[in-house]
Amino acid sequence: MIIIGERINGMFKDIARAINDRDPGPVQEWAKKQEYNGAHYLDINVGPSSTEPVEAMKWLVEVAQEASDLPLALDSTKYDAIEAGLKLCKQPAMINSVPAEMAKMERVFAMAAEYGAEVIGLAMNEEGIPKDADMRVGLAAELVATADAFGISPDMLYIDPLALPCNVAQDHGPEVMRTLREIKMISDPAPKTTVGLSNISQGTKNRELINRTFAVMAMANGLDSAIADACDDELMAAVASARIILDMDIYCDSFVDVFKQRNR
Amino acid sequence: MAVEILKEKYRSKVGEVVLGATKEDGGTRSHTITVGGESALPYLHFEGEIPNRPVVALEVWDIVPEWNPCFEQYYGDVYNDPGAWAKKCVEEYGADLIQVRLKGADPDLKDHSPEDCAATVKKVLEAVSVPVMVIGCGKADKDNTIYNPIAEAAAGENLVMGVGELENYKAVTSACMANNHVVIAQSPIDINICKQLNILIAEMSPAMSTRIIIDPTVAALGYGIEYSYSIMERARNGALQGDKMLAMPMYGNAGFESWRQKEANISADEQPGWGEQEERGILWEATTAMAYLQSGIDILVMRHPEALKAIKGNIDDLMKNNSY
Amino acid sequence: MGLTGLEIYKHLPKTNCKDCGSPTCLAFAMALASGKASLDACPHVTDEAKEALDSASAPPIKLVTVGTGDHKVELGEETEIFRHDKRFFHPTGIAVLISDSEDVAAKAEQFDDLEFERVGMHYITDMVAIKCDSGDAGKFKEAVETVAGKTEKALILMTEDPAIMEGALEAVADRKPLVCAATSDNFEKMTELAKGKDCPLVVKGSDINDLAELVEKVVGLGHKELVIDSGARETSQVLADLTQFRRLAVRKKFRLFGYPALAVTTKDDPKEEIIQAGVYVSKYADVVVLKACEKQQLLPLLSWRQNLYTDPQKPIAVEAGLYDVGEPGEDAPVYVTTNFSLTYFIVEGEVESSRIPSRVLSVDTGGISVLTAYADNKFSAETITEAIKKCGLEDKVKHKKLVLPGHVAVLKGTLEEESGWEVMVGPREASGITKYAKDNFAGGVS
Repeated sequence: MIIIGERINGMFKDIARAINDRDPGPVQEWAKKQEYNGAHYLDINVGPSSTEPVEAMKWLVEVAQEASDLPLALDSTKYDAIEAGLKLCKQPAMINSVPAEMAKMERVFAMAAEYGAEVIGLAMNEEGIPKDADMRVGLAAELVATADAFGISPDMLYIDPLALPCNVAQDHGPEVMRTLREIKMISDPAPKTTVGLSNISQGTKNRELINRTFAVMAMANGLDSAIADACDDELMAAVASARIILDMDIYCDSFVDVFKQRNR
Repeated sequence: MAVEILKEKYRSKVGEVVLGATKEDGGTRSHTITVGGESALPYLHFEGEIPNRPVVALEVWDIVPEWNPCFEQYYGDVYNDPGAWAKKCVEEYGADLIQVRLKGADPDLKDHSPEDCAATVKKVLEAVSVPVMVIGCGKADKDNTIYNPIAEAAAGENLVMGVGELENYKAVTSACMANNHVVIAQSPIDINICKQLNILIAEMSPAMSTRIIIDPTVAALGYGIEYSYSIMERARNGALQGDKMLAMPMYGNAGFESWRQKEANISADEQPGWGEQEERGILWEATTAMAYLQSGIDILVMRHPEALKAIKGNIDDLMKNNSY
Repeated sequence: MGLTGLEIYKHLPKTNCKDCGSPTCLAFAMALASGKASLDACPHVTDEAKEALDSASAPPIKLVTVGTGDHKVELGEETEIFRHDKRFFHPTGIAVLISDSEDVAAKAEQFDDLEFERVGMHYITDMVAIKCDSGDAGKFKEAVETVAGKTEKALILMTEDPAIMEGALEAVADRKPLVCAATSDNFEKMTELAKGKDCPLVVKGSDINDLAELVEKVVGLGHKELVIDSGARETSQVLADLTQFRRLAVRKKFRLFGYPALAVTTKDDPKEEIIQAGVYVSKYADVVVLKACEKQQLLPLLSWRQNLYTDPQKPIAVEAGLYDVGEPGEDAPVYVTTNFSLTYFIVEGEVESSRIPSRVLSVDTGGISVLTAYADNKFSAETITEAIKKCGLEDKVKHKKLVLPGHVAVLKGTLEEESGWEVMVGPREASGITKYAKDNFAGGVS
């Protein structure tokens, strides 16, 4: 399971302040911490309230790369900011994200092809997030087919079936699981899958428990990656166990440490 | 019609390990040998690099071995002299390196002292200029007393020493750590233990993680070879997919395992249905080795010079580029 | 695995007409891929597309049968790249080559004798290939008839000259031989011959691309009982080509390579040849043609084939019973173990190393190891006693002593009571047997 460390995000107060003051400290600290604990990518998000998203993205990318060698997932709805960031990335990055809307797909896939970037595709369109799995899978297939037209191999795509908070949209849970399974039938190679893990537990009690339970259930249904808190030790241990049970890693007694240390 | 060739995309590759040391690096070998480094499944040159050819060792014992009489004509004149034996293996039979098995250290056999063992190793190092591997007698308590004296006596030579096992890896690993040798990590046909042992050795010293050779225990043809074969295929797949704790070169003693079996030894008089003994034995050994080449082995230890010759011919063939 | 949504989509009209009930063709393709819809729902799909989609659901590699009756050989229908993922199904056919320019009768007799008994199993060399080196149709036909008269095993007829093939094939067509081979020069005539006699046909290319083209043509002529050969003869290239055949057929459902594959050795030295054949057995050949014909040469190769094609999910059992190690007399020690092959072989090997002629009693535990079988009551006082009686141990040794694995020392009392034999508790691990034997049985069992 590929963990995209979620912590460098202007949504968090310390990061917002760091961006504002151009203080690399907190950003670099989180970059290192997440890498140490087993993240495979660092998500980079300037936050919803940034007034200068392009400049802020450029600064975050440079500062993060000084502290960590991990590839970055540039997270923004403002594609100019993403493109500015891509130009500065030292290794192929990930674009987070694009919905199945033609104009946006054209903009993002052209950019992805140019910079060799992977792309997170959202199973939604102008009409929003469908409830049932068939519709979600149909949108995923559109993302794959459109990417293919830009010469982007399906395995460069991470489809996010879009999990909703389990306290308000409980009936979406089984549909998300089914979507994850069926996405693997779209193409060969199949697209990869991802989720914003903490969405599932918004506004609930005992969020970490719900997050990690969701993670292992989704893995059993074909989830390849998650944007998640890499510093949640219980989550990482659960993911490491799930990988063993699903025969994705060869067991050894130190399996949790081995999972976390893969990138070191 | 142009067929679209299917190439696997791997995330990682097998680590390289250097065996032996020349004068510049503090040793006395005429050359070093690098093993590992594969970024493709065995001999699929079309999808990655097989930068180093697998190497073949012959084994030299410090006591006269009780081997099949057919070995008399090859080694009979040197059974009593490990130096001359090693030299013959390299010069006449074309061994890439020598494995010294200190069988005589066994308390139930000759109970050679640690100093005697070190002297035997020194003798072999003087007799040949190829890299050398050293294996104990197989009794852990005794072997743990001989590793240090040998490692010290051969400091700088970058020996391969073994074997470390899950229940007993510290003595040989420390001896290797302190004197810059390579350690053989042996697991009993069990991939989980194989991986765990590599982790434990690497935990003793991160520098050792690039000085480990995996011995997954290679069963002989007809005696569980398919278990070892599949474990090695799984380990190699794991290594290529990024499992660093399985990404070490692999080793196996095809000669020892094969010649323990009835099929290699029984005479044609006793078992007429199986044909002539010596050629059968040679092929029992060479077929065992062939299978392990196909599952990714990097260092083979052989016994019969004819089996070594046949398998080196096979390696020549397999190393030819097959890119499309 | 079935077709993916995008593969199906390629064959759909792409009009998004909604007549099938799905909002888009792509959504319909996904519904087909996951088995929720049937192609019939689309009124606009062409027959061509239907056929393409149908054939894609066939097994990745076709099953081809050579020979008839008890000696028929089934080739292909493999589904795996690695045996540990499931298993390999149809063992590589090992074919010994006889030239029509040598002493055909003598070699055919020698060939037919290539059968082996080993650890309770029977290995056979299952095919014989007769090759026309003489260039003489009469001589080839005579050779083929001679071989057919000497052995009932499956035949391969090797000549690329259809005129020479015709007579020989006519003579043995009822044996359903493998016709070898159609090439770009002769494929029309060869296909007609093989198809006419309902015999399988080898299609041989000059390389992997040429082969794909040729297979397409032969299939176009209506023959589908095929075996493929890229024409490569260098070990490394053959390995690469065989790997591509298997991967493309299994992983990509590439129909043109969805047939069993044939490899031919080139080495003249029999030892080198066996090793070369071993590589092809390991990596995906369904038939290997080789010249080596001595027992000591074939036994190792057939053993490797047997080992490789065992089912990794199934515990492998040796036949239960009493085994001799060396030439045991009536005072030789007796070791008891299970019939899990790995356990048995390790015990046998260690007993052998002791150099004291002995007997090993392998108790039927359904192929599971000592401790598991003990826990499962399959290695118990009763089952061991039954095994002692069944093999007639009492008549073979004059003592009444057994060596029991140390791990189940707890059985000693009940076993002695049940069987009337004295139980000696042996070492816990097989590696201790050699020393144990030397300490206890240097002078036989006293």
